[in-house]
Amino acid sequence: MDLKFTAEDQKFREEAREWLNANVFKERRPHGGDEMREYDLAWQKCQYDGGWAGVSWPEEYGGMGLGLTRQLIWYEEYARANAPDNHLCFVGLNHGGPTIIAHGDADQKKEHLRSILSGEKIWCQGFSEPNAGSDLASLKTRAYVDGNELVITGSKIWTSHGHLSDMQELLVRTDPEAPKHKGISWVIFDMNTPGLELRPIEIMTAPNHTHFVQCFYDEARVPLKNVVGGLNNGWSVAMSTLGFERGTAQIKDQIRYAFLVEEMIARARERYGAAFLDGDEFGSRLAQLRADMAAARAMTYMVVSRAQHDVSPAMASLMRAMVGQVQQRVRRLAFDIIGADGLENPEDDDWVYFYLRTYATTIAAGTSQIQRNIIGERVLGLPRS
Amino acid sequence: MDLLPSDDQQQIVDTIKDFLRNEAPVDRLREFGAIGNPDALLWPQLGELGFFALGLPDDRGGVGLSAAEEMLAFQQFGYHLVSPGIFGLVLGARIAAFAGEDALRDELLAGGIKVGLANSRGAAGAADEYHLFEAEEAAWVLLVSEEGAALYPRDAFSEIVRVNSTDSALVLERAKLSGAPRVAISAETDNIHDRALMLMGAYAVGVSEGARDLAVDYSKIREQFGKPIGAFQSIKHVCADMAIRSEAALCQASFAALVMDEGSPDTPFHATASKIVACETAVRNAADCIQVHGAFGFTAEANVHHYLKRAHVADMMWGSLREQRRRILTFPTPA
Ligand SMILES: Cc1cc2nc3c(=O)[nH]c(=O)nc-3n(C[C@H](O)[C@H](O)[C@H](O)COP(=O)(O)OP(=O)(O)OC[C@H]3O[C@@H](n4cnc5c(N)ncnc54)[C@H](O)[C@@H]3O)c2cc1C
Repeated sequence: MDLKFTAEDQKFREEAREWLNANVFKERRPHGGDEMREYDLAWQKCQYDGGWAGVSWPEEYGGMGLGLTRQLIWYEEYARANAPDNHLCFVGLNHGGPTIIAHGDADQKKEHLRSILSGEKIWCQGFSEPNAGSDLASLKTRAYVDGNELVITGSKIWTSHGHLSDMQELLVRTDPEAPKHKGISWVIFDMNTPGLELRPIEIMTAPNHTHFVQCFYDEARVPLKNVVGGLNNGWSVAMSTLGFERGTAQIKDQIRYAFLVEEMIARARERYGAAFLDGDEFGSRLAQLRADMAAARAMTYMVVSRAQHDVSPAMASLMRAMVGQVQQRVRRLAFDIIGADGLENPEDDDWVYFYLRTYATTIAAGTSQIQRNIIGERVLGLPRS
Repeated sequence: MDLLPSDDQQQIVDTIKDFLRNEAPVDRLREFGAIGNPDALLWPQLGELGFFALGLPDDRGGVGLSAAEEMLAFQQFGYHLVSPGIFGLVLGARIAAFAGEDALRDELLAGGIKVGLANSRGAAGAADEYHLFEAEEAAWVLLVSEEGAALYPRDAFSEIVRVNSTDSALVLERAKLSGAPRVAISAETDNIHDRALMLMGAYAVGVSEGARDLAVDYSKIREQFGKPIGAFQSIKHVCADMAIRSEAALCQASFAALVMDEGSPDTPFHATASKIVACETAVRNAADCIQVHGAFGFTAEANVHHYLKRAHVADMMWGSLREQRRRILTFPTPA
């Protein structure tokens, strides 16, 4: 057990810090629309031009080819520099890209990888369907082969930023006769393909906040060469990269949330007086969260440690489950601290917006119930339900 | 950076585990009888194996390992619900070592004598009123505070009255502190208060994991409605929550030990955070463990209740969740 980083790691940290301090965008990130897209792409391009995009991506596709520890350090410095989260680039950087790196052929790699890193293309994820949520493998969006094309008909839903995206990682059913996990294919889908229509879906944070869309595919044609990892092999392709970063990206959120808790303590003192926290309910909730945030960070360090020892990635689900809950508690308390003012939803203060936003943290990317099923069965060895 | 034990550290853990599995299965508490425990019989053996001296520098008569090894050892002590008298020996030997009382140190490290723990009754009593744990036949009583730590002879306490212990595996007394310490060190000499909190955090991690494993094992074998109860999600998810909380507590305990080894100014913050997270976890896991066992969990025939009661002892020792939560707000933002 040790907390020390090597001299090279330390040097990497200093260089990252220096670069981030000089280059981080200072303007506030817009909450939606084309401005948000422009902002996220520009920040991604800035990182790419600076040589810092894709710390763990292979060098041949413009990445840095470094390991998990460096990835962790990069995210720590990223959060400390208060660098903006370019959420729109998330799917490309953490799902679509890594899937192509792991399973794509040479042409697919050449065509798609660099434009993700360099901030030219936004990717979105088309997995969930109206009737396939937690039970993802029951998806029904149909695709049949016609010559050298796939013809796609059906619907995807909850596609985050689908209306702002260029490309989509899409799961379709290519063999309806096969058992449900066997007849699925993972497809690169261009969002400009004729036959695709989008319906924006407003989310609960405030009126006019479109976060995701429903996609309708009506005989949309995709070149067969866009299938990644082989026809009908899409389930194992999708599963193999779901835990790609093994949670290192979460260290960013943890550090941000730890800062937020500090800010909340300061704000509570300012609002209610220094003596107020002592013995008050807010005081004890803040104190517990201060301790829990420390533990959450230690859990991320443990995830990286375990990955280095090749311990089962299922263990990382412990950290994810914990972090989702803690984030909700932090934001709820932030909301409580601002008191009656929380009933106003101002554009220039994030505390209300992000409070409402955290209701998604125990739903998106596998609900907390599904995570508990996984922990129960794969970590603790309990019988299947 | 690596939060997992090294091979050498794992070897120590395995040795302790094997020893306790054979010599101190939790069943011993039930078999021993209504009150008390047989753990003092283990002290000479544990002393001989060097387990009381792990974190003590070798130039002070210790094994010369770090806080990390100590943390790992106390995790196992908690897992097996070893009497908290073990804190008295380990921390008492540390006090003696730093005070230059080599003979006393060696006597404690050998495990030949008993050291009880004095814990302030807090708001429940006057400033000089204490609970004494495991001190009945003890030569010494350990007292740890933010200012430092000291060993008192038992007769430094007056008006000693035996009371019923909620954790009936431990002997509990009430007493007034009226005498002077025999050996004392200040917080400037050694960060023994932080160490005590950190080790109690580790101990509570072990209690949490013990309760988790008991619940998981039972939900695999107890059948209702034609299947193991662990197949029901409401049980499975309770077990998953126990695992999530235990993991958080273990990671923070590991982090706290390593921060302490680095001599970081964040040591008190992380030690306190560790005690908070682990004690909260231990109580909740033990409570869930009772529920998972149904009526059996409500009996004295199951081991479950021991975990709950010990979790509460761990919480109260050296400042409960309430006090620790107040304290943690007073520390500067950690790095
Ligand atoms: C903010 C946000 C962004 C998202 N972005 C995307 C995206 O970009 N692309 C994409 O494809 N999807 C996306 N999703 C969808 C997400 O993956 C699904 O919401 C999630 O998998 C759950 O599916 P569902 O919403 O259909 O809920 P359901 O599966 O209908 O679940 C409803 C409730 O039933 C519970 N439940 C279901 N099955 C079980 C079971 N076996 N055991 C116990 N409880 C169960 C669930 O936990 C939940 O509480 C996003 C969701 C959110 C909230």
